[in-house]
Amino acid sequence: MKNDRGDIELAGVCKSFDGVTNVVDGVNLKIADGAYCCFIGPSGCGKTTILRMIAGHEDPTAGEIVIGGQNVVGLAPAQRRTAMMFQSYALFPHLTVRENIAFALRVRGMSKADRLRAADAMIEKVRLTQFADRLPAQLSGGQQQRVALARAAITEPRVLLLDEPLSALDEQLRVQMRQELRRMQQELGITFIHVTHTQLEAIALADLVVVMEQGRIKQAGPARDVYAHPHDRYVAEFMGGQNVLSGRVEKVNGASFTLAQAAPSGIEVPLQARPTVSVGDKVDIAVRRDDVALVRPGKDLPPGCTTSLPSRVLAIEYQGYFVKVMLDTVPDDQFVAYVPEKTFFADPFTVGDVVMATWATGSALPLA
Amino acid sequence: MSAVLADMPETIAPATSKAIAPSKGGRPWTFYVLATLFAAYVLALYGPMFCIYILSFQDIRGGLVFPMKGQSMHWFVDLFTQVRTGDVKGSFDRSIKLAVIVTVITVVVSFLAGLGFRRRFCGDTFVFYMTIGSLVAPGLVLGLGTGLLFQALGLNASWYTSALGAQLSWTLPFGVLVMFAVMSRFNHVWEEAAYDLGASRWQSIRLVMIPVLAPGLVAVALFGFTLSYDEFARSLQTAGSLNTLPLEIWSMTLNVTSPSLYALGTVTTIVSFIVIGASLGTIVLIQKKRGSRTKG
Amino acid sequence: MQPSSTPSRSNLAGWLYISPLVLVLVPFFVAPILVVLAASFFATDGFGGLTPGFTLASYVEVLHSALTLKLYLATIKFTVLTWIFTLIIGFFVAYFLVFHVRNQLLAIGLFLLCTVPFWTSNIIRMISWIPLLGKEGLINQVLLSTGVIRQPLEVLLFSDLAVVIAYVHQLTIFMIVPIFNSMARIDKKLIEAAIDAGASRFDIMRLIVVPMSKSGIALGTIFVVSIVMGDFFVVKVMSGGGSASVVSAFYEDVGVLQYPTAAASAVLLTLVLVAIVSLILRTVDIRQEITR
Repeated sequence: MKNDRGDIELAGVCKSFDGVTNVVDGVNLKIADGAYCCFIGPSGCGKTTILRMIAGHEDPTAGEIVIGGQNVVGLAPAQRRTAMMFQSYALFPHLTVRENIAFALRVRGMSKADRLRAADAMIEKVRLTQFADRLPAQLSGGQQQRVALARAAITEPRVLLLDEPLSALDEQLRVQMRQELRRMQQELGITFIHVTHTQLEAIALADLVVVMEQGRIKQAGPARDVYAHPHDRYVAEFMGGQNVLSGRVEKVNGASFTLAQAAPSGIEVPLQARPTVSVGDKVDIAVRRDDVALVRPGKDLPPGCTTSLPSRVLAIEYQGYFVKVMLDTVPDDQFVAYVPEKTFFADPFTVGDVVMATWATGSALPLA
Repeated sequence: MSAVLADMPETIAPATSKAIAPSKGGRPWTFYVLATLFAAYVLALYGPMFCIYILSFQDIRGGLVFPMKGQSMHWFVDLFTQVRTGDVKGSFDRSIKLAVIVTVITVVVSFLAGLGFRRRFCGDTFVFYMTIGSLVAPGLVLGLGTGLLFQALGLNASWYTSALGAQLSWTLPFGVLVMFAVMSRFNHVWEEAAYDLGASRWQSIRLVMIPVLAPGLVAVALFGFTLSYDEFARSLQTAGSLNTLPLEIWSMTLNVTSPSLYALGTVTTIVSFIVIGASLGTIVLIQKKRGSRTKG
Repeated sequence: MQPSSTPSRSNLAGWLYISPLVLVLVPFFVAPILVVLAASFFATDGFGGLTPGFTLASYVEVLHSALTLKLYLATIKFTVLTWIFTLIIGFFVAYFLVFHVRNQLLAIGLFLLCTVPFWTSNIIRMISWIPLLGKEGLINQVLLSTGVIRQPLEVLLFSDLAVVIAYVHQLTIFMIVPIFNSMARIDKKLIEAAIDAGASRFDIMRLIVVPMSKSGIALGTIFVVSIVMGDFFVVKVMSGGGSASVVSAFYEDVGVLQYPTAAASAVLLTLVLVAIVSLILRTVDIRQEITR
């Protein structure tokens, strides 16, 4: 019964190590065959536990894990036709690159000649031919990662599970290996599930981004959805790039509502996905940091902007192609504007300047 | 921050003159004091041993003390031919055989125990303290107990039954402790990776754990061999009628007053050094083969 | 669905792995101890024959004997002296290797140099003091020829001094290894931070190195104390029969087939030893110490 479908369904999956608290708490998720899925969340949010349950290194306390239409709970890792790439790779230190990659074939009883031939083909695929006889300790981090990938891929799994695969690498290599992962995924045409705590990594790679907090899924969807349209304050803050403001609804008028704020005008917010707002509700809204424009007091607001909040510049960080300006716009939360470099230096602010923070009314997003 | 510091000037005394200045590449005086202590320790450690090695090469006029009287191999020949020095050759033979058996059992049992102790389970602490108990219990008392036990059961005490067991009660705790230290350096993710790639439990032990842990297992073997080869207190009441080498040496210290005794010391030390050298050599060789020093 | 680490399943696997160990320790450690305990309550016919029964006569005899106190005092004297010397030498040797030898390969080499004699015969190492300490030994020869003394010193060999020398010679390694282990784990940056804060060498020793090597010291102490208290051989040979310890008296008792009194004194000694060791174990979790 060879089933090559790598679609995964998690249904009501729970995991508890101590029988009291659930590390994974009722997770439901569908991942399409051949998708690149990233689980993201702070450490301890249960993302690695989910990965290990899919791999078969942990059993769920409750729920089903279905791969290619088959419930795999209780099956041994190798029977699931999943393969795992471990954090910091777990390459066998006593085996050469070739022997490491051929390991899975060796334990399946394949003859030495056959398995070395297969391993060599895989080594070529990850461009490590000249290092085939080296030991892991003699390889650089990037090369080790490619060995780990090749070792996991040689069994032709239908799902490849990657546990923080890029965390052991330095910044530059990380970007490079990121592309390599994506290339391998497309070449192999199988489902990749990748656990990370780096937002940039997730949105750069994934077809499906799953944001987690305390064992629960907070939001799952395409990268752009999750980044640009966070459901709630947690996702907005975790994914970054957003300013989150909160306040009470002052009035609701047609397609928008107004949030009471220190500013005399209040904040106008389009209703969008939240038609059920009523006066007096406490509401969080998100405004992208790169949507915020800064105007000197007394000057005209750009077109489409109805809200402007007087703020003082707290700090300025030069970031290259943009300038990060930190403001005291809202009392409790941080408020940041990403100003394009050219715009900023046309009329630079200094710390302590008073500016009006404004944005196009349509770009304010009410959160759940 | 500066305000905080300004508020509490009287609480921070200026550094005393004893505060250490950044080193300018030279050695502090403590280095020379401790280096002298270390040298003295090593000298005291090896000095006496080398004295008896040297004295064992005297000729027939030789005595137990310096000065050296001539040079020959006389006392070595005497050692293995004279009846008055006892059955050195036979006890030597038995001790080596016994040490080999003890080594094999120690390595296997300690390795398995090391595997078991990796996870906490009901009763593990009890067994652990039993092991520690076996280590600290007075050897002679244990030996007597074992001897009496064999007597009570109507079994004959001999070097390959009661003495073997008595020695294991000494070598196994060391083996288990060394195994603990060795296992703690084994990344259990390697094992998990092996399972992930389809290995059975036995395959993961054979293809991953044993090769990775090989240097540690050699260390356990070294402990097993040398501790058995040198074991005295526990063997005394359990070896039966045929002596092991340390028992032979013991009886020689009581009634032999010739450099034969020193010659025996030289011979056993050579054996020890061969075993130590072979073990350490093997460990170094394995590490070197792993190429952990070179980076590609 | 059961969680993967079902307690009963992991218990079974654990016991399966350690069953060979248990199968050796039960007949060769637990049973002999119980035999000795039983024998201490038996009566004897004075010729090595034991009469099963229950009598405290042996304990009464041991506890009433003036000799017992003397033996314990002697044993404690040897233990304390040996402990102090091995601790001081072991601590500073380990300190030297960890903090003063900058080349790590050299440090490991020197460490191995210290450990090699541990793997050679203890008996041989002990008798190797004879040509040095004897009446006509090297030390006396040197002292006589330099005119420091006129008569050869007789206290050197076959004396309490010789016993302590032999113990320290054999057992310092048991201090060096665990102390070296715990010191090697001290982050060198802590020392630098202390220097930064203006600490003197003594402050660093007192406030950082000693507290952080405590578990190594405890482990070494267990080794040294239990070996010295359980020894009879060094005392017998190096004191030339002049001194005795609890176990050497035990040995004499066994020699004259006084099994019950020997057993009673062994049980008492074991109790003392257990008390000392468990007192030390309260300050250190050996298992964690080794696996850390």
